Amino acid sequence: MKFQIPIGPQHPALKEPISLRMTVEGEIIREADIRLGYNHRGLEKLAEQRTWIQNIYLTERICGICSHSHTTCYVQGVEKLMELEPPKRGLYIRTLVAELERIHSHLLWLGVAGHEAGFDSFFMYTWRDREIVMDILEIISGNRVHYGINTIGGVRRDLDDGQVKHILDSLEILRKRSEYYKNLGTTEPSFVARLAGVGYLSKEDAIALCAVGPTLRASGVPMDVRKDDPYAVYGEIPFEVCTADTCDVLGRTVVRIQELFQCYNIIEYLLKNLPAGPVAVRAPRRAKPNEVVSRYEAPRGENIHYIKSNGTDKPERLKVRAPTLGNYAATIKMLKNGFIADVPLIFAAIDPCICCAERAVSLVDVRTGQEKIISMNALKQLSLKISAGKVRKREAEWPL
Amino acid sequence: MKIGVFIPELLRHLFKKPATVDYPFKKLEVPRDFRGSPYLRPELCIVCRACERDCPAEAIEITAVNEAEKRFRMIIHNDRCIHCAQCVDSCPTEAMLMDDKFEISDYDRHNLKMNWEFVRAVVKPKSEPKTS
Ligand code: SF4
Ligand code: SF4
Repeated sequence: MKFQIPIGPQHPALKEPISLRMTVEGEIIREADIRLGYNHRGLEKLAEQRTWIQNIYLTERICGICSHSHTTCYVQGVEKLMELEPPKRGLYIRTLVAELERIHSHLLWLGVAGHEAGFDSFFMYTWRDREIVMDILEIISGNRVHYGINTIGGVRRDLDDGQVKHILDSLEILRKRSEYYKNLGTTEPSFVARLAGVGYLSKEDAIALCAVGPTLRASGVPMDVRKDDPYAVYGEIPFEVCTADTCDVLGRTVVRIQELFQCYNIIEYLLKNLPAGPVAVRAPRRAKPNEVVSRYEAPRGENIHYIKSNGTDKPERLKVRAPTLGNYAATIKMLKNGFIADVPLIFAAIDPCICCAERAVSLVDVRTGQEKIISMNALKQLSLKISAGKVRKREAEWPL
Repeated sequence: MKIGVFIPELLRHLFKKPATVDYPFKKLEVPRDFRGSPYLRPELCIVCRACERDCPAEAIEITAVNEAEKRFRMIIHNDRCIHCAQCVDSCPTEAMLMDDKFEISDYDRHNLKMNWEFVRAVVKPKSEPKTS
């Protein structure tokens, strides 16, 4: 017997409006379908009526958590269109804020993962430590959430020595705390057992379904825009791309924790090698007719902006592909043959940001539309066969 | 692996200061670069309209009261303002500045409007409008 369970658009398990329809047999999800469009804001159309400068603040408000990702992606594209070369110091500060944002986003995610796994004290502690990063961001940019640090041709705020020292001191605390979270897994068996084996996404599927970010890297594919197509100053910073090969939620957790440590190293490098000089150059008001695709590794994965200019002071077209959209197809794959109880966890593991992803898109319907009729016996055998390969890993080990 | 490793951490936190402050009684200081609400110093405004043009929320409105006397009125619709401080960046004479208030909510959005009526200033711009 098959049931269809709708979850959302409004549901306590989901933080943002999205509609999931799952066809279940007993506790096991056989088909999953994601429907979007509950949070469409007409932002791309609005961008066509705003000047290049105004659009910085518009793209910043695509998302609260990766606000810097979207502006950097946009601003980088516009700088290419205007043939501007931002000064080194500006790029360093831009990268610094980007990495701080990655830390805050990953800590936020860790907390959410803890919460979804039923480990709420973990959630509280990671979020309290996240306040350290939020304070740094507030000190650098003036505000906690929308930093507004980017401008076309550089950044808007400079760093002074006091701030540099404050950041380096705070980094030490963060390092220690992250070290603690990293070790927690080896000694907290219930947490690891809850995450291991959930939301399996094989390497082949991850590539075929165009997963991005930590979801992709947790399936053992070392793909990172910062390494593959270095923008800003990533070409000269030593860092590693973190991967895991467990292909499950545990792997995604591990990748994010490892990335935290890479972020600390990157920030330390940036601050110790901060070049002197101006932070921005003057930008023209118009851009020559041209088009550009700008890529950026947001905390959730690859963010793509396509910008087309037509010689005026406004873009002709701005298209945003947020990382969450790239992960939807993979999420459907992960949900299939999993348990209903794992839905929030799997869904949280891609770190979804619905309002980022809601663009004018036509989503390909993933359902086959076919309903097969099979006998109860065959069904039982099928479920046995599937669940045989999918038992919870009781003896799961913390891979760090 | 052992059970209950989290307990020492939990106990430690019993003796820690809370991470929050008693907000209405105690207030945190805002950072130096905090972006509050924009305000105008009319004695410096040369009515170049750079702020009006660059404001992403279209929150600034400059109208001429009397062209002959060079009297202008500027209204900042603080209810629409997104506190980005682009107007401050765009202003060539530093006539526009941000304050550091953060408790600015009101029961009526029209109370948030601020307006100034002033005679256009004659000051030499310190910088070109940064975004022209
Ligand atoms: S702070 Fe931003 S939104 Fe507010 S008036 Fe200035 S430019 Fe407009
Ligand atoms: S940019 Fe400055 S000088 Fe120009 S109109 Fe605005 S406040 Fe006045």
